[in-house]
Amino acid sequence: MIRRDSLYRRLLSWLMLPMVALGGLMLFQAWLDARQTADRAFDRLLEASTLAIAEQVQWQDGRLWLDLPPAALEMLATDAEERVFYAIYDDRGHFVTGNADLPGVDAPVAENRDTTDALFYQDIRWHDLALRLGVRRTHIEDWRQRERFEIRVAHTREGRQQLAEQLLRGNLMYIFGMALLAAITLFIAIRSALAPLTRLRRAIRARDPRTLSPLELPLPRELAELRETLNELLARMRRVRANQERFIGDASHQLRTPLAGLSARAELALRQDDPAQWHQALSAMHETSARTSRLAMQLLSLTRLDNPEYQPELATLDLGDLARRLVKRYWSDCHRQAIDLGAELPATQVMVSGLDWQLEEAVTNLVDNSRRYGATRITVRVSAAPPQLEVEDDGPGIPATKQLLMLRPFHRHSEDPDGSGLGLTIVDGIARSHGARLGLADGKAGQGLRVTLTFPEGDPA
Amino acid sequence: MRRGLAILMLGGLSLIADADPPPGDTHQQASTLIIHGALDKPYMRPLLADFRQQHPTLEVDYRNRDTLPLYRDFLAAPDEADVVISSAMPWQYRLANDGYAQPLKTPSAQQWPAWARWRQELFAFTFEPIVMVVHRELLERYSRPDNHAELLALLRQQREPLTGRVVTYDPRLSGAGYTYAIEESRLSPRYWDLVAALGDVETSLAATTGEMLDGLAEGRYWIGYNLLGSYARQFVAANPDLEMIIPDDYTLVIQRLAFMPRQAPHPDNARRFLDYLISRRGQAVIAGETSLGAIHPDLSGPGTAAAWRTTHGDALRPLTIGPGLLATLDELKRQALLSRWQREFKRDDSQSREAVSGSNE
Repeated sequence: MIRRDSLYRRLLSWLMLPMVALGGLMLFQAWLDARQTADRAFDRLLEASTLAIAEQVQWQDGRLWLDLPPAALEMLATDAEERVFYAIYDDRGHFVTGNADLPGVDAPVAENRDTTDALFYQDIRWHDLALRLGVRRTHIEDWRQRERFEIRVAHTREGRQQLAEQLLRGNLMYIFGMALLAAITLFIAIRSALAPLTRLRRAIRARDPRTLSPLELPLPRELAELRETLNELLARMRRVRANQERFIGDASHQLRTPLAGLSARAELALRQDDPAQWHQALSAMHETSARTSRLAMQLLSLTRLDNPEYQPELATLDLGDLARRLVKRYWSDCHRQAIDLGAELPATQVMVSGLDWQLEEAVTNLVDNSRRYGATRITVRVSAAPPQLEVEDDGPGIPATKQLLMLRPFHRHSEDPDGSGLGLTIVDGIARSHGARLGLADGKAGQGLRVTLTFPEGDPA
Repeated sequence: MRRGLAILMLGGLSLIADADPPPGDTHQQASTLIIHGALDKPYMRPLLADFRQQHPTLEVDYRNRDTLPLYRDFLAAPDEADVVISSAMPWQYRLANDGYAQPLKTPSAQQWPAWARWRQELFAFTFEPIVMVVHRELLERYSRPDNHAELLALLRQQREPLTGRVVTYDPRLSGAGYTYAIEESRLSPRYWDLVAALGDVETSLAATTGEMLDGLAEGRYWIGYNLLGSYARQFVAANPDLEMIIPDDYTLVIQRLAFMPRQAPHPDNARRFLDYLISRRGQAVIAGETSLGAIHPDLSGPGTAAAWRTTHGDALRPLTIGPGLLATLDELKRQALLSRWQREFKRDDSQSREAVSGSNE
């Protein structure tokens, strides 16, 4: 399931990323909180200790005097056996007594300092020891003396650290528990969200490759759309295949009839002894086989045109030039049949991108059709805007209701034994491979047929 | 404070430490151990002998000092000693508190009872009660003072005959005497009555236990108050005229504290010796061959803290190894205590008599 660039991994990492960031933030906050809580708890000891000392400070013999209570220091030791330091300074900053020369704090002196005590806490480094310093600024309550002094006590931070670590450990359990729960939930959620995708994939893989029936399985909305799209594609493929099957059936039928004719004619001729008869049979057979060969050619080119994979390399060409060349090629044949073949060309070149052999084939087919259905006048016409190639005749034409049907293969307008019913279908295929639109219309004066290929405008320029 | 005793012992005894080459011997520096201690050599010798048996290649240099010079010298040169031993608990504590000691993290150090150590830096390895020693003459004439109250009553009742016959520490001269005074004044306010009564009988003031024991042996004094039990025990055992009394109301107990200086020149040897001091083996030597009192929890029987506790359990008051000791060292507190002590000691007769009659009522 987990593979490079998988949806699963992408979802997981995008959901995990904010979770991890949030977790980190929570950890940091928990650490700060633990430290603060531990400091608050232990600062009480500094407060109590300075208070106990302050109560023992007196004015005696013209100087500050202290009977240091041992308990004031013992309470600072705590369970962690902290190192303890204390010192008393008078108002002028002179050391009175103590076991260490502790630094003071840079705190502003309060205005009403004669009546209130001020307490300050600070983390300091002193002789390579990390200490927490508590400073109390107070004064003596005596009848006349109001001597101010400062008590500084400090102890190492080990007890605080232990408490902070203990608090943090408690919080860590909580945070890790939550993170684990969230991760598991996320894991399960993503798995179950992606499970229908796996189902769909299995359903597609398990299908018989020849089956084109629609997919029937319950899926969530987003995937149901995909399923519908797939089903539409399958439906189109079904239609295409039905067309192909019909085409193959028709094609076999079309090929079988002339072949059966050939076989019958040959059998008949073999029973004769007269060479003249043989000659007649052979020429008839030659004619039939030529027609059959042409039919096969047409089927081949139609198959090629119908292949959706077929992407011809289009080249720029002049439609007028093409029309002139074809009229020249067929003029003498038509003239022999007393058909008036002509071309109507604009003064300028009409450039389109296309394959000249295909376009020649299309025009040849159309001219052939017109000749076969008894037209006496055929006009090949090229016009510039939009680029159009048109073949018009004055034959019987096709009623408007049947014009579309004519595009289907093997559909013939009349019972002409020579026609294959593929001509217009091929022209339609060529038009599509050129991106051109095929139009069928009545000829001038409501007689005959006009077939127009309209090319996309401005394409080759 | 025990210089007298040390001198006494010096004469006939050859000391192991004296046989060792000087510590400046550079090519053997790594296998040298320098101990600065306030523990007389007769007490130290069995320990050193046993230790050297364990580590025959080690050269041990033991220097015995008084407690206060030891403290001052250490502050002046904290990188000279590998192990520092002293019975002046507040001073030792202060050095450890100020970060001069380095921790010992051996299994015996981890298991050492919490009341006998501070962090893993300062280790108490002896158990020495503070006792009274009385002369036979006193017992023949008067009742035996079994506790502080009885001593106070005796001093008050027999003021005239006991004048000049009592000896105790001078708290102004002796660190030990000062430490006991401050601890006793914390234990009971009646201590000051005792000081006043001691003053009334014109108690002689001495600087060391040895000095007091000498005076008692000579018969100059009948009562010696606050003597170091570890020294007194051996002395009294050898002297049938004297008797040691362990007060049954309260008995202070001091402990010798040892630590390894952070700047010890031979830290590995220091660790070895300190670990030995608190090992079962070292403590067994203390219990069996000295009168210092072993405190290893596995040891019991004579010469151990456990034995002391079974006989005098309720009365024993070991000094707490904690920052309370720092208060003892506070200069203002020292001045306040000594001035009060002097005031009480010098209280004139009339005041004293009033106090006596007052307390008798």
